[in-house]
Amino acid sequence: MKEIVEYIARAIVTTPDDVKVTEETDAGGIVIKLEVNVEDKGRVIGKQGRVAEAMRTLLRVVATKEGNRVRLEII
Amino acid sequence: MRELEISAKTVEEATRIALEQLGVARDDLEIIVLKKGKSGVLGVGAEDARIKVILEDDYNRAAGAENGEADTARQVLCDILRVMGIGATVEVTLAPDINTPVLLNIEGDDLGVLIGRRGQALSSLQYLVRLIVAEKLKKWVSVNVDVDWYKKRHYEALKKLALRLAEQVARRKRPVTMEPMPPDERRIIHITLADHADVNTLSTGEGDGRCVVIQPGKR
Repeated sequence: MKEIVEYIARAIVTTPDDVKVTEETDAGGIVIKLEVNVEDKGRVIGKQGRVAEAMRTLLRVVATKEGNRVRLEII
Repeated sequence: MRELEISAKTVEEATRIALEQLGVARDDLEIIVLKKGKSGVLGVGAEDARIKVILEDDYNRAAGAENGEADTARQVLCDILRVMGIGATVEVTLAPDINTPVLLNIEGDDLGVLIGRRGQALSSLQYLVRLIVAEKLKKWVSVNVDVDWYKKRHYEALKKLALRLAEQVARRKRPVTMEPMPPDERRIIHITLADHADVNTLSTGEGDGRCVVIQPGKR
């Protein structure tokens, strides 16, 4: 699941080496945490959160198929 | 760069021949369907399917080099589908001229999830493909992503609906407000009725609630 966020984030930031994605599971489902260079934070969030929202939609597609729930946190 | 074009009766058969000739597994290949075959009636009107196969290693290397917009867009979409774990093929319809967008159609089984409620998943997918392509090529490329021609069919239905409502508006001389729609769908309505003799259209409302009003009278 985290590969999705990893691929997209690396493709749109200016310093791909600083992209760190972790995946864990808690009671509410899968939690994916995305960490990027401070300079790139705006890029992975997007205007009015559009990029983050689009990533969440794709994550939801995959999670739903697996009967799971997923949250994306940008830190 | 190892690539190969193969014709056969069906896409499946062409794929099988490609795998045999190159001696590799399905996963090592990028397959582009150039033409879907038609079986025809009693052999009349039959058309061979044609595919282009590219060895994966070579394909990834080529992506770094000078590459067409369509190729880049296709590769980005394939990459996203791969990380999503969705098995599907992507068909490219090349733009006949520079003003029409690159069209990528995803084909496979059970892809309804990729469309989502009111096409939401599909528009997210398209948005991310455009964003990544723009980043890679350092310029904006108009890329349209479709799933099993869902949008194409949906647009046709919208056109019919627009024409039917226009007749009703013209007859009753009263405006009709349509359901809220995303921008691309509103655009279809506006374009369809732009030349209509008896009605004109406008959009009203904000954000997700924005909708088209068809009103009597030529603008």
